[in-house]
Amino acid sequence: MTAAGERGEEKVAKTKTDLILIVDDTEMNRALLADMLTPTYRVLEAADGQRAIDLLQQYQSEIALVLLDIVMPKLDGFEVLAVMNKNGWIGRIPVITISAETASTYIDHAYDLGAVDYISRPFDERVVQRRVKNTIMLYSKQRMLEGMVADQIVEKERNNYLMVEILSNIVEFRNGESGLHVLHIRTLTDLFLHQLQRTTDRYPLSSSQIAMMVNASSLHDVGKISIPEQILNKPGKLTAEEFAVMQTHSALGAQIMADALQRHREELLQLAYNICRWHHERYDGGGYPDGLRGDEIPIEAQVVALADVYDALTSVRVYKPAYPHQQAMEMILGGECGAFNPLLLQCLCQVGPRLEEELRLRSPGDMAEQSILALSSQALAAGQASSRTLTLLEQERTKYQFFAAMSSEIQFEYHYATDLLSMSEWGARQLALPMLIEDPAGDRQLAAVLDPADYRDLQAKLRAATPDCPIVDAVYQLHVQGQKRWYKALARPLWEDEESGQMEGVIGKFVDVHERQLQLQTLQQRAEQDSLTGMLNHAAARERIQPYLAQSGRQYAVALLDLDHFKEVNDRLGHMFGDQVLQYTAQRVRRGVRAGDITARIGGDEFLLFLKCRQPVEPVIRRIFSGLGGKFHGFDIAMSMGVALCPQDGEDYETLFHKADQALYAAKKAGKGRCLFYEDKMRDLLSAISPIDR
Amino acid sequence: MTTEELYRQIGGDYADTLRRLGSSERIQRFLSLFLREDSCRALADALREGRAEDAFRVAHSLKGMCLNLGLRALGAAADTMTEALRGGRIPPAADALYAEVKRAYDQVEAGTALLDAPN
Repeated sequence: MTAAGERGEEKVAKTKTDLILIVDDTEMNRALLADMLTPTYRVLEAADGQRAIDLLQQYQSEIALVLLDIVMPKLDGFEVLAVMNKNGWIGRIPVITISAETASTYIDHAYDLGAVDYISRPFDERVVQRRVKNTIMLYSKQRMLEGMVADQIVEKERNNYLMVEILSNIVEFRNGESGLHVLHIRTLTDLFLHQLQRTTDRYPLSSSQIAMMVNASSLHDVGKISIPEQILNKPGKLTAEEFAVMQTHSALGAQIMADALQRHREELLQLAYNICRWHHERYDGGGYPDGLRGDEIPIEAQVVALADVYDALTSVRVYKPAYPHQQAMEMILGGECGAFNPLLLQCLCQVGPRLEEELRLRSPGDMAEQSILALSSQALAAGQASSRTLTLLEQERTKYQFFAAMSSEIQFEYHYATDLLSMSEWGARQLALPMLIEDPAGDRQLAAVLDPADYRDLQAKLRAATPDCPIVDAVYQLHVQGQKRWYKALARPLWEDEESGQMEGVIGKFVDVHERQLQLQTLQQRAEQDSLTGMLNHAAARERIQPYLAQSGRQYAVALLDLDHFKEVNDRLGHMFGDQVLQYTAQRVRRGVRAGDITARIGGDEFLLFLKCRQPVEPVIRRIFSGLGGKFHGFDIAMSMGVALCPQDGEDYETLFHKADQALYAAKKAGKGRCLFYEDKMRDLLSAISPIDR
Repeated sequence: MTTEELYRQIGGDYADTLRRLGSSERIQRFLSLFLREDSCRALADALREGRAEDAFRVAHSLKGMCLNLGLRALGAAADTMTEALRGGRIPPAADALYAEVKRAYDQVEAGTALLDAPN
């Protein structure tokens, strides 16, 4: 009973019965309570406060009730309550204390921290069962009510939104404009307000406040309903009087809102009033109708003013064609359309490049749903999340866990707030790690599986990720079941919301790519190697040599080596024997040089040596040369070698190679079986290496 | 020995405990679990090593378990011990108090060993 219950993640059967968390440091007490409560309920057990918090984090809304002891080692019951308060769990999950402490100070303190009841000791089975049952029932009723209220709130916002949309359509229709103007103003207002939040602290706004301002912006031209049509839709320039009449639409619109405000203290109306009345004011006081200046103009009106100007410039109007984006930007930034808040102009520049596309892409439908949710979110958050949201969350978690269980992948999740890393069951088993790891950065077991340097590398990559490019992709070695295997890590950060930079957690997976990685490495090797001798081929050798030559200050030698009479060997003794001779030679060449030197087979029977020179240079190289000869199955191996020195004969690869080549030719010409160093008189000699091999 | 007789011997309240826990089988089961906790030794260790806070917690747990199991005599001794340790220091009377606890505990342990198997 208790053994199974201790490891909370063990088979807690997925039935519909409620889940209860029992927290007590004494096994007997946990066992007793569990005994009394099963099979009516499913039970999780924790022996100390920290474990309780870990389980709460993992199971969250699944837990219907917590039975909490107070006196415990590590974190005590009060501290658990404090954490539950901080994370907002206390409102949704009822806590009943089960301490043996009867002093009223303890009980009161627990109540202060949000406990809903206490069960005193000694435990009485029927009392325990009844209290638990009643509390759970009470809370589920509460959640249901919360759900209903939340639904009402969303419904109200939806209705609001609908009304505003209808109203603004009426106005636009009369203006003879397409329905796009209001949509554009909304989009622009939304973009500018969000950018403003990123740029400065001066106008702090929540996302639901922003949503409300965006909604209110739809009404900015409502006053035009009172403007005579001849003026409104006049194709030419307006006379001074006509312009004066047009200007009254600000005050008229505000009047409409004011009338409604008399009867309804609605924030939306207040914002609409501000926007209607002052969306033609300018930052330097040169606007109308009241000549407000600077931040006397409410920020929502400032933003709509800018949006209105931009849209007017870039759209077709009765009295003008559409100007291109760039021209509109120049006109605005150049002050041709009035003075604006410098911070706002900064925002305009920052979102400028995206403007055209955003205006083109955003459809009315998208904006609607987003707005409604954003508007409702504030009210919902003030209470707790509705049970509908919880149900949705629950569904998501079930889906996630299902896929995690199905896929043979090591999936993981990490949360900064709790510093807790959790892994899928399969993943934890693969790596022989616990499913929950606190303080993973300092965990030794984890460090044994994933090297701390790699852990830090992954962290750094995640911190560098942005919402536009969130996915991080890297290959690391994991120590798994006694072997080191290659895994690809795919992960992404989870941000507070899609726009702000506050990283809340990370989600990702490790996929076994060992076979593929080895294949990759093999292919790479093969691409660089000569298949017969296993030596580097010319291209690979050259790649390795050039970095050395790029550094000045050291002496190097490039030597080209060629087997004498090799063609005869092939003809007389057959190609297979010839191959063996080559292999044998390759071996001797490799062994004849030092560890840091580079050797390669660059042609049929041609080899290249790249040596770091030791003093005295010439004798050492000659010694190496003489050591390369020998007998192979009765065949005398004779070679010729040409050497070029860096920096004396040249400093770049081509020059040195060419000169070594000429020295080799000279050696051949002089009778073979010898090693010659490049001299200037060799300059005009032809190459010794057949053109195919070069 | 039946559970009822055991309780009479050690100064426990059988009737109340039976009412609360439901069955004598459960009482027996949890008695053995209780003894497996080995609280007495844990208390002795903590006192000997001067770990006052740990000693307090063990005594407190012991008292709680005794309450649940209706072990009056042992519970009373544990309670006295708990309160004496509440200050955060080990008082001079600790040895004497511990002796009381150990005596009652040993009684429970010895008696439990003689219990009839549950039927």
